[in-house]
Amino acid sequence: MRKTKARIRPGDVVLFAVTLIVAILFAFPIYFNIMSAFKTNGEILRDAIAFPSGFYLESFKYLLTKTDYPKAISNSAILTAGSIICMIFIIPMAAYGIERKNSKWTNGVYIYFLFGMMIPFQVYMIPLFKQLKTMGLFGNLAGPILIYIAGSVGFGVLLYTSFLKGIPREIEESAEIDGCSRIGIFWRVVFPLLGPVTASMVVLQGLGIWNDFLMPMLVLPSGEPKTMIVELFFYVGEFSSRWDMIFAGTTMSLVPVLIAFLSLQKYFVKGVSSGAIKG
Amino acid sequence: MSASFVKTKRKTWWKDYALWFILPAFALYSVFVIWPTLSSINLSFTSWDGINPDIRYIGFENFKEMWNSPRVHNALINTIYLAIALVLLENIVALALAVLVDKVRWFRNLFRSIFYFPVLMSGIIMGFIWMIILNYNFGVVNQLLDAIGLGNLKTDWLGNPDFALLSIILSTVWKAAGYYMIIYLAGLQGIPQELMEAASIDGAGRWKQFRHITFPLLAGATTVCVMLSMIGSLKMFDQIAVMTNGGPGFATETLTYIIYRVAFGEGRQGFGTALALVLFILILLISLVQIKVLRKREVQM
Repeated sequence: MRKTKARIRPGDVVLFAVTLIVAILFAFPIYFNIMSAFKTNGEILRDAIAFPSGFYLESFKYLLTKTDYPKAISNSAILTAGSIICMIFIIPMAAYGIERKNSKWTNGVYIYFLFGMMIPFQVYMIPLFKQLKTMGLFGNLAGPILIYIAGSVGFGVLLYTSFLKGIPREIEESAEIDGCSRIGIFWRVVFPLLGPVTASMVVLQGLGIWNDFLMPMLVLPSGEPKTMIVELFFYVGEFSSRWDMIFAGTTMSLVPVLIAFLSLQKYFVKGVSSGAIKG
Repeated sequence: MSASFVKTKRKTWWKDYALWFILPAFALYSVFVIWPTLSSINLSFTSWDGINPDIRYIGFENFKEMWNSPRVHNALINTIYLAIALVLLENIVALALAVLVDKVRWFRNLFRSIFYFPVLMSGIIMGFIWMIILNYNFGVVNQLLDAIGLGNLKTDWLGNPDFALLSIILSTVWKAAGYYMIIYLAGLQGIPQELMEAASIDGAGRWKQFRHITFPLLAGATTVCVMLSMIGSLKMFDQIAVMTNGGPGFATETLTYIIYRVAFGEGRQGFGTALALVLFILILLISLVQIKVLRKREVQM
């Protein structure tokens, strides 16, 4: 943008070298993880930095055939997809109601929702645990999905209302004159315009749910496979001598994240900066 | 006549739709966030063990115990140490990374992605990788120390109470700095280039430019980053769970971790809830003070 075809100064080279060294330090743990997944346990112990000698896939095979990991993968996928789909149905509508109505009571509801962003999960996890048991939601996947939706209301409503402020009402009014119902206007006219926020929402919340540990560990039934992250945590204790296997498991959890990041990079970045506005 | 008809019709219709649009989110949020938060106040005055249907009220006993318990004091000190260290280091590293990415001439986007990627990892996975890297016998860190002839510095990084918390802090900086880097980077790119040029014509060197122009203009980004990193460090859990489980002894037990251990490991959910309330109040107070203090030094453009 600003440095158009200037000649290369020695300062640029030094700066590049420094950045490169820092980047190698930052990338090393990830390189180490993925390489180790294709090594035998002996190779990891002998020389952690080296490339794998062959393309060793036994740890993946073992994990997928001899353990509960496949069930955990499907649980993670169901939780992530289920929660995200429900969030996208519920939260933009609430934000739309709040922003377009813009009356005293909707503003009150808005403040009430934002307050939730200040409450960390650890504050209410113990009563929640008790409450799930009395509601009969303990030990199935519906419980965590409802908790995820509820927990994202504050952040989601904030994101959507600030974006809705920039969308002119005229478009809706013409649809209204054409006899469209309010819900029809929302889903057919307004929702498609909210695409960028929805993308940021899906990416950030999806990542948070995929990586979540404490809540699924507490509320999913013990003795059955839970989510990938929770199972990995247990494997660290159980298979403490099979590092190759755990690395295969972490790699399987990281690959979808990596693919999502590479294909949707701008939404990850946008989400961070929009999330930062709330400060 | 017809105009007023449209108006009244419209009014009742508005009333309906906003209510129904908001209701599902309102109901879920109230039942699964607000209600348990409020009932935690009630539960914090009990000695409930998590199983017994008969819940006994014990007044302020839990809070008194907290006040006198050396274990809680230790957790509080660990939490404060962790929070201060993480806020300082994460922000310094993030700002340095942002400056590097902003100034480097080649592969800017690639570098940004590399620094950002650890943010996307789960604390459990990140904790496991670092646990192996820091392993006493086979870890990369100790192997490197051996290779460069500093073998006498070798230690069991996570098993030695003097280094366990420090190891968790440094690996968390690796994980989280990229997030704040993005915010600083957005701030840096918002600074007009003319300002720098004017300063350099006036004879200001690079450091002076940074000290007197860049840094003050980044105050808004700093406010956000300091707050987010402070709250993030108070809520930190996953890394501790996988790397040390609060040990060795109680060396890495923080407030969030003691809540979990007491409530679900030792079956003292009443006491755990009381601790959780204290954590909540701490987070609220810190956020309020920070907003007050840091807003003052922001520069308006």
